[in-house]
Amino acid sequence: MTRVGGVAAVKRAIAIVTLACALFASGVRAEAPPEKTRILVWHAYRAAEETALLMLIDQFNAAHPEYRAEALALPYDVYPSKLSAAIPTGHGPDVFIFAQERVSAWARDGLLSPMDADAAMMPGEFPEAALDALRSKGALWGLPLSLKSVALYVNKSLVPVAPVNTDEMVALAQKLTDPAQGRFGLAWEAGDFYHHASWLSGFGGKLFKEPEHRPVVDTPEGVAALTFVRDLMRKKHVMPEEPSAQLVATLFNANRAAMVINGPWFAGEIHGVDYEVVSLPIVSATGLPARPLLTVEAALVSATSEVKDGARALARFLVSKDASILRAKIGRQVVATRSAYDDPGVGGDTLLRAFRKQAESAVPMDNTPAMLTVWEPYKRALTAVLSGLLEPDEALAQAQRRLNAIAKPMPPPASPWPLLLLAAGGILALSIWIRRRPVRPDAPALYHDVRRAIAYCTPAAASILVLVFIPFAIGVGLAFFHHGEGRYTFVGLSNFVDILTSRDYRITEPMSFWFTLAVTLAWTVANVVLHVSIGLFLALLLRDPLLKFKGVYRVLLIVPWAVPNYITALVWKGMFHRQFGAISALLATLGLEPVSWFTRFSTSFAANVVTNTWLGFPFMMVVSLGALQSIPQDLYEAAEVDGASKWAQFRHITLPLLRPALLPAVILGSVWTFNMFNIIYLVSGGEPGGATDILVSEAYRWAFQRNEQFGFAAAYSTLIFLFLLGWSALTRRVAREPSPEAA
Amino acid sequence: MADVTLRGVHKAFGDNPIVRGVDLEIGSGEFMVLVGPSGCGKTTLLRLLAGLEQCDQGEVLIDGKVMNDAAPRERNVGMVFQSYALYPHMTVRENLAFALELRKTPKAELDARVNEAAQMLELEKLLERRPKQLSGGQRQRVAIGRAIVRRPSVFLFDEPLSNLDAALRVQMRGELMRLHARLQSTMIYVTHDQVEAMTLATRLAVFNLGKLQQVGKPLDLYARPANKFVAGFLGSPGMNFLRGRVGKGAVAGDGFSLALSPRYTALEGREVIAGVRPQALTLSAQGGVRGEIEAIERLGTEGYAYLRTKVGTVVARFEGGGAELKVGDAWGAACEAASVLLFDAASEEAIAVQP
Ligand SMILES: Nc1ncnc2c1ncn2[C@@H]1O[C@H](COP(=O)(O)OP(=O)(O)OP(=O)(O)O)[C@@H](O)[C@H]1O
Ligand SMILES: [Mg+2]
Repeated sequence: MTRVGGVAAVKRAIAIVTLACALFASGVRAEAPPEKTRILVWHAYRAAEETALLMLIDQFNAAHPEYRAEALALPYDVYPSKLSAAIPTGHGPDVFIFAQERVSAWARDGLLSPMDADAAMMPGEFPEAALDALRSKGALWGLPLSLKSVALYVNKSLVPVAPVNTDEMVALAQKLTDPAQGRFGLAWEAGDFYHHASWLSGFGGKLFKEPEHRPVVDTPEGVAALTFVRDLMRKKHVMPEEPSAQLVATLFNANRAAMVINGPWFAGEIHGVDYEVVSLPIVSATGLPARPLLTVEAALVSATSEVKDGARALARFLVSKDASILRAKIGRQVVATRSAYDDPGVGGDTLLRAFRKQAESAVPMDNTPAMLTVWEPYKRALTAVLSGLLEPDEALAQAQRRLNAIAKPMPPPASPWPLLLLAAGGILALSIWIRRRPVRPDAPALYHDVRRAIAYCTPAAASILVLVFIPFAIGVGLAFFHHGEGRYTFVGLSNFVDILTSRDYRITEPMSFWFTLAVTLAWTVANVVLHVSIGLFLALLLRDPLLKFKGVYRVLLIVPWAVPNYITALVWKGMFHRQFGAISALLATLGLEPVSWFTRFSTSFAANVVTNTWLGFPFMMVVSLGALQSIPQDLYEAAEVDGASKWAQFRHITLPLLRPALLPAVILGSVWTFNMFNIIYLVSGGEPGGATDILVSEAYRWAFQRNEQFGFAAAYSTLIFLFLLGWSALTRRVAREPSPEAA
Repeated sequence: MADVTLRGVHKAFGDNPIVRGVDLEIGSGEFMVLVGPSGCGKTTLLRLLAGLEQCDQGEVLIDGKVMNDAAPRERNVGMVFQSYALYPHMTVRENLAFALELRKTPKAELDARVNEAAQMLELEKLLERRPKQLSGGQRQRVAIGRAIVRRPSVFLFDEPLSNLDAALRVQMRGELMRLHARLQSTMIYVTHDQVEAMTLATRLAVFNLGKLQQVGKPLDLYARPANKFVAGFLGSPGMNFLRGRVGKGAVAGDGFSLALSPRYTALEGREVIAGVRPQALTLSAQGGVRGEIEAIERLGTEGYAYLRTKVGTVVARFEGGGAELKVGDAWGAACEAASVLLFDAASEEAIAVQP
């Protein structure tokens, strides 16, 4: 009966799969011969910008009956990886819209079609900086759609005449600052290099050393720029400390920041302030204008597009005068096309015009992968200096060392054969071992219904294979490769060797693996100890029979757990703000000095631990509460008659009986904490100087903030995995020790 | 060794009075057995003595000291719980040693006492096991052992032998008696078992509905129960009760008549309940009580016949195998006048007469 049933089930499953395949195939075929040629457009626009784009695509389709352009919106963060995967196989878009930051890499990898001829058809329309931004190896790879840079927003009621140079700006700022009232003359995200770059150029600095095109940050100009900003914040106090985007907006809207440096997107966040946008002032010390970084959003054409003519026509159409006017008016874009500003609706728009003007003098952001490595080290230097931790020259020297380590040369390629042979040998040995293990005598009885067992297990096994094992194997495999310039090279164990020998750093320095491992362990131990003790303590309180409103307390105490942890992290991050945070306010009412939480390792680490403890104790409380309730009351009575004090009862009855429930929770909690990326990334962000980063956040940085060193990041992840594997093997042994069972 | 006194003790759970005014004096070194139907408050009384419950009214004295507010560990009592309450995460040895370890007893003495208790309770082979790996009876013995090793001045036993098999129960009874003789501690012992109650007790206290019915030497209670409840509660099978009226030299009712000792002549004409123990009532062809056999219990050398009479079922004893008896046959039963007790029909109190 079961046999027949099993076979029937398999047949049915085959029939369903066949049917599904047939349907799928027919669907594909039905789509096949379109009477119009399709042009696929990828973009990451939302809201008004997307509306404008869709309107333009409709216009294009109406004007070109032979084409049918279609837009597909993609989430910004997955966009680059999807492009790199799709275009080489011919499945990608024909036209896509993206900023210039990856143009060099894409051009190098052959994803883009050159557009020089198309730009030449519209002479004088685009600022040279915008075209520069899209050039690589002498060719132009896209048509500029819109320009983004920061400029100076001034509150007109406070600043009737915008400053022309920094001397004026500083004098004005000093006049308008009143720290006691929380009023500042100036505000911008000073901890972010994107904003800071304007000053670097104003002091005559450059980010790259030519001709090798290597990022060099510890220059006298860099020190001068950083000193200038540091003095504004820490000597003249005309700027708020730890200025986040949100704080800047809040201050400006409350008329408490007279001048703000920000991009065109900031206009949407302003409410009820009469403002004006002007170009950044001239740096009085050098006489040079502060030139912001210019980001150019461009229409790019895929190298593998089969409708290149149509795609280029569409790209040209998008940057044409009329289309630009529409993008400016509806999408509120600072369009690149010069003639669009002849339209009174666009040219008369002071905001667009001001940003267009600023763009003319802006420095195009470098479009090579080297640029991507600059952000994190520079940001660390900025925060270190702005929090008073380091002098500008020290901080930039440190940043330079970081950059050198990140941009380290590729290790020599290795032959994969020894490792492959080793792996094959390992697998062989494993399978022999499995084969030769004694078979249980009752095995035939256990496994008599093999077919059915396989049928039941297959879906789960298949999904685990696809969702866990394959990504895992790829991840581990990646650890043996070096990624650079879009290519993976097999380098054998050199990633592991570099990490474990701490090649580029002394082991007492934050970027060394061992330092980070020590921090991770301290982090894990501190958290688990606090989670368990606070959770257990609260559970014991909640168990008190005399306590009223238990249900209410229980729910309230579980709330921290129910809130998504990144929200909690951001809330705590705000509370730790030195000038505006709730904790500083609390300290102030106690007559204590506010603490600059993220400038010292101890306080920064403590801030992380406090936040994560807030998140972590409810779980331990719930586990303890459940376990406590399963301890029979008469054991306590017997112990009491036996002469045990409350403490002895806790030690000899409660703790041992909690152990079986608490131990797995502790193991689980330690693994969670070990890999608690969100808190570290969002609360301390690794400050100061990466010292509070843990292994996962380091792995993340290697992959996404340090020149896409995916192999190095994978090696980090593999080491994390091995460490946790060892840990769970160890704890499993502890957990196996004779454990009490309830009578 | 300590005496224990309860003075007017009341205890209620919510609106539910459980112990209702108990006065009881237990002398030092006495073996006091408490009996009563299930739910009458015996366990509650022990818990009041142990300090696990606080009494609402009255006083609990141990060794002459008022202990109402003293914590359990200040009372130096040992308790064997009805539910055993063994520590599940400790071995038998650790369970036994727990109280001594808390008192920081020297190792040698601790081991000696644990081994002694284990030997007495036949637990030597089980010392390294955990409670989960023991049978109900073994657990009960560990629970007893846990109280014994401490040598408290007062032992509180809550039905400690209820899960043992008959043979072990007999043996344990002997051990408890020896233990009592040796330690001379005061023992307060709750049981449902008649034989245990009669054999172990120096004095016996019978409870019903939270009230003390009678206290005294077991045989006194058996022979001279203070009321119908005590009379019916002690002895097995239970005493026969026949409702009737005292006549001339006899008590008679619907379909029965039993001779009375001359002591009762003064009661002539009074409405009473006559009580006769089945052991004293002999099945015979004639006899003052007549009825039809309803059921027969043959025990070998003797047996009991259940007669359906007009005043209810009456149990009578017969000698030998009772081969001649058949269900449905009409039989009678008779007894000596001295073994008939009389209870007031209304109050159910024993009617006391001058001997
Ligand atoms: N904590 C309590 N709360 C409420 N009622 C209780 C509590 N403990 C006992 N009772 C009630 O008190 C009564 C007496 O209980 P107790 O355990 O003393 O009976 P017992 O004489 O020991 O019975 P048994 O012979 O069945 O063990 C029972 O009706 C019981 O339901
Ligand atoms: Mg009881």
